[in-house]
Amino acid sequence: MFTRELTASDIERVVLEAVDALQMDEDTFRAFYDRTARQVWAYLARITGDRTLADDLLQESYYRFLRAQRAFTSDSHRRNYLFRIATNLAHDRHRRAHGTTSVALPAEHEAGALSDGRDLAAETERRTDLARAMARLKPREREMLWLAYAQGSSHEEIAASLGLRKSSIKILLFRARRRLAAALGVRS
Amino acid sequence: MKSPNHQMIQCPREADVLDALASARWPNRVERELADHVASCAICTDVIAVASAMREDHDAAWREATIPSSGQMWWRAEMRARQDAVREASRPVAVAQGVAVVLVLAVAGAAGWFAWPSVHEFFTTTAQNQTTAFASPMLVPLAVAMGALLVVAPLALYVVLSEK
Repeated sequence: MFTRELTASDIERVVLEAVDALQMDEDTFRAFYDRTARQVWAYLARITGDRTLADDLLQESYYRFLRAQRAFTSDSHRRNYLFRIATNLAHDRHRRAHGTTSVALPAEHEAGALSDGRDLAAETERRTDLARAMARLKPREREMLWLAYAQGSSHEEIAASLGLRKSSIKILLFRARRRLAAALGVRS
Repeated sequence: MKSPNHQMIQCPREADVLDALASARWPNRVERELADHVASCAICTDVIAVASAMREDHDAAWREATIPSSGQMWWRAEMRARQDAVREASRPVAVAQGVAVVLVLAVAGAAGWFAWPSVHEFFTTTAQNQTTAFASPMLVPLAVAMGALLVVAPLALYVVLSEK
């Protein structure tokens, strides 16, 4: 006989196995997600320059993370692995889009003041300049700069998140920073 | 010994500059000595420009992020894991079904190939004897029906067996 139909008990068994095989239980996942999701979204939104794409990649990143059959030694290890997944997904999309990068311009354009008294219009303009400058960088440079200066990640964390050697981070970061500073009009 | 290039890529005050920025001491409450250093150091000037712009953008991204709740994300992941598990478990069955269809078609084709001379001879003989008493208006529909049966019968047999 060539075929074997899945019975209800077969389906129940494979479904239970699939749920058991997820990386963590619900409570642990929810706590981890609440700690990391905004950071991951911000990272994806800024390195891709596309907020809608960031929404999609956020979901995909957590799903792949949950299905990963890996043992983590610490929360930092787990977090770096999540960023690694997010980075790889963003690279895949970038390749499929034939290397084009959007410029995510700031959403707010109205004049006014932020709650801490800063001028909103001036901040919006600065962020627009940054978005345009970031779009001129290579994906790897954007990722590295965001992790280093927006998130304050260490060189070791950047290396783990991007799949690079720790020893090469310093020089790569220097070059990326110099390029961004030049694109922002800062003399180096 | 460090090369000149190596010295150019980092500044020993970089951490102090970033610390001043992170603690919101830059630019108004920072020590005069550090401010003077930044003014004269190209690397720290770049660090300040890039890091302050990115921190501001980070805060904005944090505000504009509309992420699903953790419960929603867990539910979606669980549902997708279930669907993927069923799809993966069904894949070998789908492959077997594909192989079965190909085999049935191959057998039908082979049968047709070997039977063709006899069929051809039959039709030729019939055409030659059309004027004879054996000629009948029902002959062509009968031949079509037999041909269809030759194709449909193995498929029907396959469907019946696979449902068991």
